[in-house]
Amino acid sequence: MKHPVALPARILWNGFFWTHERATWQYDVMVIAILAFVWLTPPEWLGDPTATGSGPIGWILRFLR
Amino acid sequence: MTFTGLIGRICMFPLQLIINLCVRFRIHPNILTGIGVLINVAAAIQLALGHFITAGVIMIVANIFDFIDGKVAREIQEVSEFGGFWDSVVDRFSDIALFIGLIYLYSRLGRTDYVMITALAMMFAIMTSYTRARAESLIAKCKVGFMERPERIVLFMIGAFTNRMAAVMWVIGVLSVFTVADRIIYTYMMLRTPREKVAV
Repeated sequence: MKHPVALPARILWNGFFWTHERATWQYDVMVIAILAFVWLTPPEWLGDPTATGSGPIGWILRFLR
Repeated sequence: MTFTGLIGRICMFPLQLIINLCVRFRIHPNILTGIGVLINVAAAIQLALGHFITAGVIMIVANIFDFIDGKVAREIQEVSEFGGFWDSVVDRFSDIALFIGLIYLYSRLGRTDYVMITALAMMFAIMTSYTRARAESLIAKCKVGFMERPERIVLFMIGAFTNRMAAVMWVIGVLSVFTVADRIIYTYMMLRTPREKVAV
C-alpha cells in the first residue's frame, strides 16, 4: 500500500465534504451514525436539560426482557 | 433499495392521498405553505412549554403542508416564481420559530449553555439556506452538504418524540457548520474553474 492513510483520510473527507444524494448507502450510513449518537449518548454526558428516562434504547431493552 | 429510500416510499403513500385530496379541492399551494408556517408556530409554542410529544405531533402535521405544497402546485399547474420565493421565505420562518421555542425553554430552565448551542445551530441552519441561495446566483447549482431542511425537521421530530433534544441540537449545529463550509468551498472551487471548462 503506497499511502496507508489515504483511505481513512478519504472517508473523513467524504463525510465532511458531503456530495451524496438521499437514499444512497452513504446517506444510510450517515443516518445510522446520527441516530446512534442521538440515542446511545447518555444524556448526562451532554448535560441534557430536558432528557428523562432511559430513552429509545431503554424502551427496546425493556421490550426484549 | 436503501433503508432511507424504503422509509421515503412508505411515507409517500399517505402523503399521496393528501396531495390527491388537495388537488381535488384545488387548494392553492401558497395557502398550504401559509398554513404550514402557522402550525409550525404552534409546534414552537409547545417546544417552549417543554411539551415535546405534542410538539412532535404538531410538527408532523405542519410538515405535511410544507412537503405537499410544491407537489400540489405541479399537479394543479399553479407553479409560479412567487410560489417558490414564498415557500423559501416561509420555510425560514418555520425553522426559526422552532429554534426560538427551544431557546425560550432552555432560557426558562436557566441553561445558558444550551441557549447558546441552540442559537448557534439556528444561525448555521439559516446560513445553510443563505449560502445556497447566494451561490446559485453565481453558479448553476450548489447542492452539497448533508444538513438541509428535511434532515433538520426529521431530527427535530426524533428529538421531540424520544426526548433527546440536546443531542439533536449538537448534531444540527455541527453538521450545519460542515454544510455551510461545504457550500463555501464548492462555490470557491466552481468560480475558480474557467467557464469553458465547466461547460465541457
